Parts: sequence; C-alpha cells; structure tokens
Amino acid sequence: MRRSYTAVIERGRPLAGDFATEPYEAGWASEAIYFVRLLEPAPSLCLDAHVEISPDGIHWIAEGTAIGPMNTDGIAFARVTNFGNWLRLVGSVRGVAELKAMVILALKE
Amino acid sequence: MIGRGATWPDPRLGKFSPLPRLLFFDDFDEGLSGWTELIGNYEDSLDSILPPYRDMRPPMLSSATMWDTGTGGAYDGTYSMKLSTRPLRGHQAVAVKRITWQRLCRVQMECFFAFKPEATELRLGDSDVRGVGFLFDLQNERGRAMPHLRYHNAEGDEPRRRWQYRDRAERRQSIGGTGQTGSMYHLSPAGWLDLPGGEQTLCYNEIATKKNWHYLRVLVDLHDCRYVEMQCSDRIYDLSHIGLIRTPPEPTLPCMLNLAFFVETNRDKRAHLYIDSVLLSADE
Repeated sequence: MRRSYTAVIERGRPLAGDFATEPYEAGWASEAIYFVRLLEPAPSLCLDAHVEISPDGIHWIAEGTAIGPMNTDGIAFARVTNFGNWLRLVGSVRGVAELKAMVILALKE
Repeated sequence: MIGRGATWPDPRLGKFSPLPRLLFFDDFDEGLSGWTELIGNYEDSLDSILPPYRDMRPPMLSSATMWDTGTGGAYDGTYSMKLSTRPLRGHQAVAVKRITWQRLCRVQMECFFAFKPEATELRLGDSDVRGVGFLFDLQNERGRAMPHLRYHNAEGDEPRRRWQYRDRAERRQSIGGTGQTGSMYHLSPAGWLDLPGGEQTLCYNEIATKKNWHYLRVLVDLHDCRYVEMQCSDRIYDLSHIGLIRTPPEPTLPCMLNLAFFVETNRDKRAHLYIDSVLLSADE
C-alpha cells in the first residue's frame, strides 16, 4: 500500500498581498497536490499562486506549476512531481484586501 | 520495574528501557503514526478557536537535510518527526497523538529528540529556540490531569537551560453558544515553574546544522494521575512531589491518554524539534 499524508498548511489565517506558505518537507513522497479552498466568497481571479521547490528549505526557486482556475466552490489546485525534499506555495492576492482560505498539501508515496 | 531493552528482538528497541507492555512504538520511517497538529476547540466557525491554538503547524517527516552537509537523517533510518514554528518570536508548534488507556497503571513515554533553529544565519544560534517540551493529557474517573514538562532553553537574551513544569493552565473559556464546547490554553508562556534542581545543559553542538539526539523518559501513574519521574540523557529527576494541571473530568474524555510534543521559538526565526522514535509502555 502506498503511504499518504495530508497536511493543512494554512487554516483561515488571512492571506494578503504577496505571500509564501511555510516550508514543508516531503522527500518521502513522489507526488503532491496543493489545494486552495476559499473559506469566504471572493472573486474568481482573486489569487495567483505557484509551487516553489528548494535544495535546503531556505533558498527557493519556482517549480513551474501554477494553481489552476478556481471552480464555483472556490477550490483550485496545483499538482507536482519530482520536487525533491521541500515544497511551498507562493502567491499574491488580487482585487481584495485579504482572503481566508485552507491551503492543503496532499502527499503520496 | 524497568525492563531490559537488550532482550527485545528488534534492535531499534535496544536503546529504550520500556515497561513490560508496549503500547506503541513509532519509528517515523513508517509514517507519522497518528501524530497530528494540535488544534483548539471550535464551534460553528474557526474564528471561535482561542488565538494561540489556531496555527500550531502540521508535523512533517523530516530527513533533516542541511544546506551545508546534506541529509542528516534520523536516529534510526532516514526520517524523524519534525515540528516547526513560524519565524515569529513566541510562536509554538504542537503535535499530538490521541489514544485511550485500558487499565489504571504506570505509563512511560520514551523518545529521542533534538532541537535546532533554522540555519538561516552562520552563527551558533544556541538561544534561538525558546523551549521544547512534552505533555500528557489524561483523564480518569476523578479528573483530568495534564503533566507538562518544558526544557526552557532561553528567554530573550537570557540562556535558561533548565527543565520546568506547570500546575495551572489559563482559565477554561466557553466556545460558541451551545454550552457544549470549551477550551483551555495550557501552553501559555506564563505560568511555567522551574523544576528544583532542573538545570541541565544539553548537547546543542557547535553550529546550527549539527544536531545530537537526546533521550527523554517520562513516567506517570494513571491511578492518581501524577508524575513519577523523568530522565533526560544522564539525569534522572524525581517528580513525585510536584504539582500539575488538574481540572474536573470532561464528559467526553473518559480514559483519555494523549501525548504531545511542542517547540517555541525565541526569535523571528523558525525553531525545529525533531523526534525519533517514540515508545509508550505500561507496567501492567
């Protein structure tokens, strides 16, 4: 059986302007999905975000994957593989002062 | 009576001194084994969570990979459980495992731990972590009891390097409007008491990317929900005389046996607590 683990990276703490989520170690996993789920209604184009990877958890570089469009329930995701050991989501909030969202990282061996 | 670890067939157990009955052995090469982020109680909205309980960070499986030397690995194998704070002075990360007890007896937690600040500066950093600790959250028919132990590493510019305990939490507050939910902040930075004779300098090592594993053993008695003793590395502390947080029993918590680890940062820098492995045993 392949192991999996889901970590809640953000849980309603307001996101505003440019943001980066906390680093998360995931070297044991071979695939990952960052989900973003809005906790309050917001315009559909309120958020740009992309995945970053790191050699050491301190220095970061864009992985090249951005979250897709948000559906009518306020959920979007970005799916990555071959990411090494560290992941984070970097983005910016647009058109609203702040957003409350769940940022959830689903990992699988 | 402490058993002889060398008699266990699994060599990973040889460094422990368990009581006769093993309740769990979590080697984090096999996953997080039920350890999860602590969250405060809520009703109707996440906004009802007491602020200190809103963001205690998910634990992760860490290979302890450093920018200068690569993967440090765990005590056994590659992965340990890592708790990381945000880079905000005073922030806490807490991971909990929730089980229940089957009979009133003595219960002992053993683990190996190490703590380090994030290696963002090429400096010693030995006072960047405010503290690390372990707690039980227990309930028997007479009440709820919460033995807490913290290694108070530093407070501001003051190195502390000593063990602490606490005998009170902040007042339990009602959460939401139904009267069914409450919450009590028991990890407040205020209210810690120095353990008499609890001064102990741990092996921090000499730069932020070198870590040494330390043994920790905490023995409690479920009959009267009290501390018995603890051991850290070569030091054994008699805890039988110290107080602990006690509250009336909660209706939804019979036989609760929770364990939690926590780490607090002393600067605007992430503090990391590594755990590998954790063993819980009982004397009957």
